[in-house]
Amino acid sequence: MTALSPEAPPTVPSSSGNGPVGPDAHDGSGARRFWRAARFPALLAAALITVAILMSLGSEQFPTGHLEPGSVAPDGTRALVNVLSEDRDVEVARTSQDAVEEVSAAGDDVVLVVFMDHRLLPEELDRLADLDVDTVLVRPSVRSLAAFAPGVEMTGRELPADFLERPVEPRCDLPAAEAAGPAYVHGELYTAPQGADAVGCYPMEAGDALLQVAGNGTTTTVLGNGNPLSNRLLDRGGDAALALNLMDAGTVVWLRPDPPRQEGGATITELLPAGLRWSLLPLAAALVLLALWRGRRMGALVPESLPVVVRASETTEGRAALYRSRGARDRAADALRSGFLERHAVRLGLGPDASPEAVVAAVAERTGGDPRGLRDLLYPATPDPYTADDDGLLRLAAELDERGRRLR
Amino acid sequence: MVVTGRAVLLAGVATVAVALSGLLGAWAAVIAVGVVVVPLIVDVALAVSPKALRMSRSGDTSLRLGDSALVEVLVSNPTGRRLRGSVRDAWPPSAHAAPRTCPLRVDAGERRRVTTTLTPTRRGDARAAGVTVRSIGPLGLAGRQRTLSAPWAVRVLPPFHSRRHLPGKLSRLRELEGQHTAMVRGQGSEFDSLRDYVPGDDVRSIDWRASARSDGVVVRTWRPERDRRILIVLDTGRTSAGRVGDTPRLDHAMDAALLLAALAGKAGDRVDFLAYDRRVRAQVKASGKGSQVHRIVEAMAPLEAELLESDPAGLVSTVLGAQGRGRSLVVLLTDLNAAALEEGLMPRLSALTSRHLLLVAAVEDPAVAAMAAERGDSGALYRAAAAERTLSERRRVTAELRRSGVEVVDADPEHIAPALADAYINLKAQGRL
Repeated sequence: MTALSPEAPPTVPSSSGNGPVGPDAHDGSGARRFWRAARFPALLAAALITVAILMSLGSEQFPTGHLEPGSVAPDGTRALVNVLSEDRDVEVARTSQDAVEEVSAAGDDVVLVVFMDHRLLPEELDRLADLDVDTVLVRPSVRSLAAFAPGVEMTGRELPADFLERPVEPRCDLPAAEAAGPAYVHGELYTAPQGADAVGCYPMEAGDALLQVAGNGTTTTVLGNGNPLSNRLLDRGGDAALALNLMDAGTVVWLRPDPPRQEGGATITELLPAGLRWSLLPLAAALVLLALWRGRRMGALVPESLPVVVRASETTEGRAALYRSRGARDRAADALRSGFLERHAVRLGLGPDASPEAVVAAVAERTGGDPRGLRDLLYPATPDPYTADDDGLLRLAAELDERGRRLR
Repeated sequence: MVVTGRAVLLAGVATVAVALSGLLGAWAAVIAVGVVVVPLIVDVALAVSPKALRMSRSGDTSLRLGDSALVEVLVSNPTGRRLRGSVRDAWPPSAHAAPRTCPLRVDAGERRRVTTTLTPTRRGDARAAGVTVRSIGPLGLAGRQRTLSAPWAVRVLPPFHSRRHLPGKLSRLRELEGQHTAMVRGQGSEFDSLRDYVPGDDVRSIDWRASARSDGVVVRTWRPERDRRILIVLDTGRTSAGRVGDTPRLDHAMDAALLLAALAGKAGDRVDFLAYDRRVRAQVKASGKGSQVHRIVEAMAPLEAELLESDPAGLVSTVLGAQGRGRSLVVLLTDLNAAALEEGLMPRLSALTSRHLLLVAAVEDPAVAAMAAERGDSGALYRAAAAERTLSERRRVTAELRRSGVEVVDADPEHIAPALADAYINLKAQGRL
C-alpha cells in the first residue's frame, strides 16, 4: 500500500530571469499606446462613414412603381401630378378609405382617378362607385367596370409594337378628347351597351380606347391604358391635354391603392403540434447530456515542459544567410580559399606559416599550370577577378575543387 | 459527475416520445424530463465514490531510453458495492503511456491491478500525474469521477548505444595487459613480472640479468598502470543544447562518456564524473573498486542542456578542487566552439594542464561538412563558405589546444564514442596516465 518513488533528481533549474522589458512601461503613455493601437481602425471607420454620407447626399429616394405619382421613372406619373398641382389640388390616396374621405372633404368640384383597382376588394369598389362623383378609371378590372359602369365591356386589346408611330384620332364629339387631338391611347378597348348614354372616343377595330358613360349627373370615364399619363408619353401628341381635360376639377383625388397587406394568420409555432413544441425541452436536456458525455475528460491534461530544439549548425546557416543577403563575395571567397589551403597544407608538406610564394610554388609543382593564375586563384588579387560577381565565385569554387582532385 | 451515452440515448427517446405525444405536450414534457433526470440522480447517488478507493503502486522505477517499462496501480475497493467504470493512469505525453484508459470492475472488498506500459521518448524523470477513476452507477447512466494521487516516478536513463563497442575495446585493453591469446607483450610501463621466453616474444624484452641466473631465457612483462584517476567532465552549457542529427550534443557526449567510464572501470581506473555549466549539475565520486557506470548513468538521467554560457573559470577551479593532489586524466566533453573556448578556457588551460592531463572531446556536426561540400548556385556557395569558416575555426581551436599540450578528439556522432575510447587506450599504452 505504500507508494514508492525513486530518488528525487536534482531540482529543476530556474529559468533565467529575462523579465519583460518594455520601452514604454510607465503609466503616462497608456493613452498614447491606446491611440497608437486604435488610430488605424478609427481612421478606417471615419473614412467609411464619410464615403457613405457623400454617396447618400446625391441620391434623393423617389418611390418607384407603375403609374406611381411620386415616381420619376418612365412609367411613373410625377410629371402629370406636378402639372396638375399648378392649378388644382391633387390628393394622393393609398387606400379606398382615404379616397372616400378625400372625396367627401373636397365637396362637389372633384374628380376621382382610380389606378390599379385590381388591388381593391369588391366591397371597396362598390363603396367608391356609390360616391356619386366624376370618376376616371384607368385600365379597370372587370369587377370594377361592373361596379362603376354596368354594361360596359372590354371587347379587345390593341397595342402594336410600333404604336408610337400611329397616334389614334379621337373621332368623337367629347370635348376633352376633341380638344386634345391624336393621342397614344392604345390598350384595352371597350364597348358600351346599346342605348346607354355613352360617348366612345379613339375608336379602333374592336372598340373604343376611351369611353365616357353618363348617369346620375356624374360621368364615368374609362381609359384603356395608363401609358398616356406616364412620364414617358405625357409630352407626345395630345396625351397631356387629354389627361388635363379628363381631370378637369378643383380637386383631383388620385387613388393608387397599395397592395393589400396580410392581416392576422397564425405564426409557425402556432401551427406546430403542441407535442413538437414541448419536445424542445427534453431535446435541450439531451443536448446538454450529449455535451457532458463527449466533453468530459478523463482527468486533467498533463503539462510537460518542451525541450529546446536548436540545430547545432544553426550559427553556420545564419552566417550563410548573412553572406548571401549582403552579397559578401570577398568573405566567401576568403573562406573557400583558406579552407582549401588548410585542408591541403599537410599534404603539400607546408606548415601553417608558409608564405604565399611557397604555397603557390608547391601547388603549381603538384598540379601544373601557370603560377601567376594560381596565385590569383589562391590569394586575392587587386582587383580580385573571382569576387566581381556570383559567376566568378562559382568559377573559383570549381577551380579549387579541380585543384583539390589533382592534389589527391 | 459524468454521464454516459446511455443517458443521451434515454433523453433522445424521451424527446421523440414527447414529439409524438400530440396534445398532451406540456405534461408529457414534464414527465419525460423527470424520467431522464431522476434516474441520473439515482445513478450518481448509487455509484461507488472514487474517494473511498485506495490506490497503491508497484512496477519499474528505471529503464533505458527506447525500452518500455510496466507500472501498476492496485485499486482496492473497501466499500460494500461493486465498482464499475474506467480508469486512467496519467503520465506526461512524452512517456507515451498505453493504454490511455482501461475499463475497471472491482467487486466489493476486492482489489484489481491496472497495468500501464510506458515507452518514454525523453530522458529524465517521468512522474505520474494521478489516477483518474470514473465510477458508473448501476443503471449505467451516470456516475462520479475523481483524480486520485498515486505518486510514482520512472527514471529514464541514457540509452548507452555505444555499449556495442565495449567488447572490441576491452579486447584491445587486454592486449595491452599481455593477457591476450595473441601473446603480445604487454605495452604498459609498469613492471609486472618475469616469465619464461616463448617463441614469438619480443627479444627486446629479454631480461639478460635474470636469464643469467636461471636455466632458460627470461622475459620481463609490463602491464599498464592501474588505479589511475579519470575525471569525466560534461559541459551542460548552451553549446551542448545544439542538435546534431536529431539528438542534442549533450546526449552524444553522454554516450561517449559512458563507454569511456565502462572501459576505464574494467581497466581498473577510478572514474569520477562531473556535469558543469555555471554550477555543478551532477557529480559522482569514485568509491572503492568496481564499475561506476551504474552510478554515472543514474546521475546523467535528469541532465538537460542549460541555455546559458558555461563558466570555464568555475569549471577549472572545481576540477582542481575535486581531484586534489596527484595527476589524473581530465576528459572534457564540450564543443570546439571558437568563441566559447578562446574567451573562456584557453587563458585558464595552464592551471589545468600543469597538474593534469587534459583531453577535450567534441562532437562535430556532419551537417556542416555536408554544407562545405555544397556546390551549384551562388546560394550553395555562400553556405559552403560559411561552413568552411566554421570548420576552419574548429581546426584553429584544435591546433591551439594541441599546442598547449591538450589531447583533442573530434569526431562525428557515430564515431565519437569509439574514438574517445581509442584515445584513452592509446594514452594508457603510452603510459601517459
